[in-house]
Amino acid sequence: MKSISLYSDNGTWLCRVHPFTKVMYAVAAISVPLILGSLWAFAAAIIADLALLASGKVLRRARALIVFSFTIIATIFIVRSLFGQEGSEIMFSIGPVNVYREGFMIALRTGLNILSMLLAFAVLVLTTNPQDLSTEMERHGFSPRFSYVISSVFNIIPQMMGTMSTISDAQRSRGMETEGSLITRMKAFIPLITPVVTSSLITTRERAMALDARGFGAKIKRTYPETREKHRGDTAATVILALIVVLSILIKAALWLS
Amino acid sequence: MAFIEIRGLKYRYPRAAGLQLDGITADIEKGSFTGIIGRNGSGKSTLAEAILGLVPQFYKGAYGGSVTVDGLDASRTPVSSMCRKVGLVFQNPFNQLSGANDTVFGEICFGMQNTGVSAPEMRERAEEVMEMLGISEFRNRNPFDLSGGQMQRAAIASILVMRPDAIILDEPTSQLDPAGSEEVFRAVDDLRRTGLTILMIEQKIERVAEYSDMIMLMDGGKLIASGSPSEVLSRDDLEEHGVRPPLSLRTAKALSFRCSDGTYPVTEKEAAGLMRGRIVISEEENGKESQAPDAATENAVMEVRNLSFSYTAGTEVLHGVSLSFDSRRTAVIGQNGAGKTTLAKLLKGLLKPSEGSILFHGEDTAGKSVASLAGKIGYVFQNPDDQIFKPNVLDEVMFGPLNIGMHPDTAEMKAKEALSMVSLDGKESRNPFDLDLHERKMVALASVIAMDTEVLILDEPTIAQDDDGKLMVSMLIHTLSERGKLVISILHDMDLVASSFERVIAMAGGKVIADGEPAAVFADSGVLSAAGLELPHAASLGRSLGAKRIFLTDSSLLHSVHRL
Ligand SMILES: Nc1ncnc2c1ncn2[C@@H]1O[C@H](COP(=O)(O)OP(=O)(O)OP(=O)(O)O)[C@@H](O)[C@H]1O
Ligand SMILES: [Mg+2]
Repeated sequence: MKSISLYSDNGTWLCRVHPFTKVMYAVAAISVPLILGSLWAFAAAIIADLALLASGKVLRRARALIVFSFTIIATIFIVRSLFGQEGSEIMFSIGPVNVYREGFMIALRTGLNILSMLLAFAVLVLTTNPQDLSTEMERHGFSPRFSYVISSVFNIIPQMMGTMSTISDAQRSRGMETEGSLITRMKAFIPLITPVVTSSLITTRERAMALDARGFGAKIKRTYPETREKHRGDTAATVILALIVVLSILIKAALWLS
Repeated sequence: MAFIEIRGLKYRYPRAAGLQLDGITADIEKGSFTGIIGRNGSGKSTLAEAILGLVPQFYKGAYGGSVTVDGLDASRTPVSSMCRKVGLVFQNPFNQLSGANDTVFGEICFGMQNTGVSAPEMRERAEEVMEMLGISEFRNRNPFDLSGGQMQRAAIASILVMRPDAIILDEPTSQLDPAGSEEVFRAVDDLRRTGLTILMIEQKIERVAEYSDMIMLMDGGKLIASGSPSEVLSRDDLEEHGVRPPLSLRTAKALSFRCSDGTYPVTEKEAAGLMRGRIVISEEENGKESQAPDAATENAVMEVRNLSFSYTAGTEVLHGVSLSFDSRRTAVIGQNGAGKTTLAKLLKGLLKPSEGSILFHGEDTAGKSVASLAGKIGYVFQNPDDQIFKPNVLDEVMFGPLNIGMHPDTAEMKAKEALSMVSLDGKESRNPFDLDLHERKMVALASVIAMDTEVLILDEPTIAQDDDGKLMVSMLIHTLSERGKLVISILHDMDLVASSFERVIAMAGGKVIADGEPAAVFADSGVLSAAGLELPHAASLGRSLGAKRIFLTDSSLLHSVHRL
């Protein structure tokens, strides 16, 4: 199996930032616009995400995510803004097609929301070694099983992709056409599904044995080969991000009360 | 009290018909080196799993009798605690990886983390064991991206580093180059001197004979015999139990040389000590010992020109390889990580060359899809689990034939024929994932044979095979070749290479360092050491006995040595 990982250490500062700081960032970047609810907040979060991705030199790898979210956003737009409810205001028309304001705004908000979440998530996932994250969680008192699950969740997409490419190699080497036009590739995708699921289940069972045979789950405090140096500014950044979240809650509460 | 005590152990897998372990009683002393031998399916791996407690804790089923390790009941002590007493190196290294680590270093530390080893000690032990197994340079690589042999080394390292009191190794050298196997045996033996107990399940009988102080012979779930190597291996019924005695023993037996205690010598050294000066070796070649370079060098079936490849930019693993394959049976041998599998996958088209070209009957394959060449070039993967994906054996084997447009009836016929060639008839409706590793390997082989391709590339076909299985593979290679197919096989079994192939390509460090008839390649000691190879047993025993020529097969040696 070839390993395909979302994370790769490209040596930029963002990779060296403590995983928790990035988790805090993702939490803030996702929650603040949701709390404030203003389109400007979404825009600000998205700009911050893009700036971070660019400075971490992972903007190109985030492209797939962006393209993916745009297809969803486009669908929502079409569904929501073209089929507006009775009586709602028509914002503008393109030929015979009417675009309704209410639907448009909902679509815009949902779209920005998805985009901002995906991008904030990308900042975390593309620059954080899942293992670093799980190790740090364990060190801070989470159970090893829990952090193993977390790192598995991070790894699940890469692992599925690895299994998929292994099985696809097995299939094409025995004459199933998987290369070429989009249609051929789509057709080749379906026979992959069952084997990928079966293979994942079998792997899971075997992994469980491998883990136990190496003492995983024994009631002993785990130790770690390396201690992680805190990145300069990790604490400050975390505190500031937390403050921003708190602040946005306060603003929202104030607006709501007044 | 012995360190490991097995009393009347019986076990049956859920839904299995017969007993997998049938009344085993044995004592394994602390600091001993025990070899466990027996044919495929005789219960060796199950016994290993029972000692660690995986049987019956992970595999339910019917369990009787008892196993105690250092006073602990193996059937009830949680595996995660028992592993501090007993380490088990799994038969398939891929299954040993925790999947929780993305570097070799991290993978090796995983077990120590769980047992609470302090950081400085952890690092020191990891370094030491990586050095010992020759994998230090891969410390930051993803363990899943290693070559088969490198992965097996990492798997062994990951258990040794935990320093349990006893280590069970289940065919730990099946994918290692000969030099690597020797290193593993030696390393494990050194550990034994420090008080570690070793149990080694192996098919490489010569090495087992050399290193063990006790051998357990198993068959049909029963312990047939246990005792010193010379006692057990001198038994007349050994072959009936599927184990061929070492060549030294067979030679001594043929010439009626016995040790003072009535047994036969089991190692080359003992045999030489006993026989030298009391034998003559006829030096002229009888018959077809050196295969005449007959008209085989006709037109090339496949050709590679100036082939280079890298998995990741900047680290090239093949450097400008040029080769031409004609219809001779061709073995590709060489050290772990030399690039053998990479070459095979390039020939098959699964990987695309970074430089150079690959020709099939003079035609460049660059623009062709793998599927379109599948009817012409077959490839059997190194790890059978990478190749199997159907829920029953017959479907698996028919998948290829159907895809390349065979009529369903023909496909079924070809599939059944292929299955019987690998002795799997009767298992058509089984789920391949429930079969043993050696059978899965054969399913993978059959699924390619059934496609009736002109070229067959076999990546280590003898993995997990016992002596009968190896013989079957060798016959199969001959049959396919007689049917006019080009058979290219990657192998670490020098005996098979010498006895069944007409051409040998030796690789090291991404380059071809020798290419020629077996006799010529094995005669070049520089090549042997550069590519981590060894002489076939016939050649090395011949040499110890004082022969000048290089014997390639057991029978040629046996025919040429006579008692004075
Ligand atoms: N997916 C991969 N990504 C990166 N490097 C790889 C990958 N697969 C193999 N390699 C490296 O390429 C080199 C050649 O590997 P290859 O599998 O061809 O070796 P091999 O000769 O077949 O060895 P073995 O005898 O152990 O099977 C090795 O150094 C290996 O670590
Ligand atoms: Mg290989």
